[in-house]
Amino acid sequence: MTVTLEPSLGDVHAVVEEVWSSFLGAEEPILPLATPMPPGGWSAAITVTGGWDAQITVNLTDAAAQAVTSTMLMCPPEQCSDEDLRDALGELVNMVGGNVKSLMAGSAVLSLPLVGHGDISPGSHLVEVCRLELTWRGEPVVVTVHLPPAADPS
Amino acid sequence: MHALIIDDSKTMRSILRRIVTELGFETTEAGNGQEALDVLEAGLVPDICLIDWNMPLMDGYTFVTRVRADDRWRNVTLMMVTTESEHGQIVRALAAGAHEYVIKPFTPDAIIEKMELLGLFAQEVPA
Repeated sequence: MTVTLEPSLGDVHAVVEEVWSSFLGAEEPILPLATPMPPGGWSAAITVTGGWDAQITVNLTDAAAQAVTSTMLMCPPEQCSDEDLRDALGELVNMVGGNVKSLMAGSAVLSLPLVGHGDISPGSHLVEVCRLELTWRGEPVVVTVHLPPAADPS
Repeated sequence: MHALIIDDSKTMRSILRRIVTELGFETTEAGNGQEALDVLEAGLVPDICLIDWNMPLMDGYTFVTRVRADDRWRNVTLMMVTTESEHGQIVRALAAGAHEYVIKPFTPDAIIEKMELLGLFAQEVPA
């Protein structure tokens, strides 16, 4: 049996804060404040396979996704194409996912990121074990970690 | 001085380009290891390659092994810049011939410091 411990909420939060402060400006921190997420928006997901399976997903509103892209590419928001947006969000979830992976025991492999408008469903064998509801520039950002259900210790 | 930036993310290539351009490097970009090998085969001999690990077609680790197996590129400095942070993978990359390993996310200072340690440039020290 492969034993996989769940990452703590605090550790995942630290990872997200580090990614945000490194690439999106330390002067505009991502805040631990739940803001209602309207329907639609963008999702970026990355899966982990190997010694253990997981999906790490970042959900953002259109405005937040555009602001992430504009900041990372240092270009005016109106000049950011959907392709730019997919690329920037893919890199964002790659960094979040890679660092969440490093919190876990055992060897595993990261997939290439998947980015789309709307939700990206995790595999049916995965359940949500961690959910961070955050706010950046007044916009909601949700980070979730899905893992296989914990084995029954009995 | 010339840097070859190898990452499948245009965004990350753009971020790295800004950092090394500030240091006075000219840059060339490739979206995966195979594209980067094609650039080298075409005659470019960069001073440093900044290499992501997870890329389509050819990953960064394979690129490092291919470059290190060819004497034409023995003087090219290889720096992994990746989210892969497992100890075993870091050891594997360094054993294959990478000179340095930077884990994403990074600050510009982290890249600059590593490049300085590799002797690729020297920061001016105020008198």
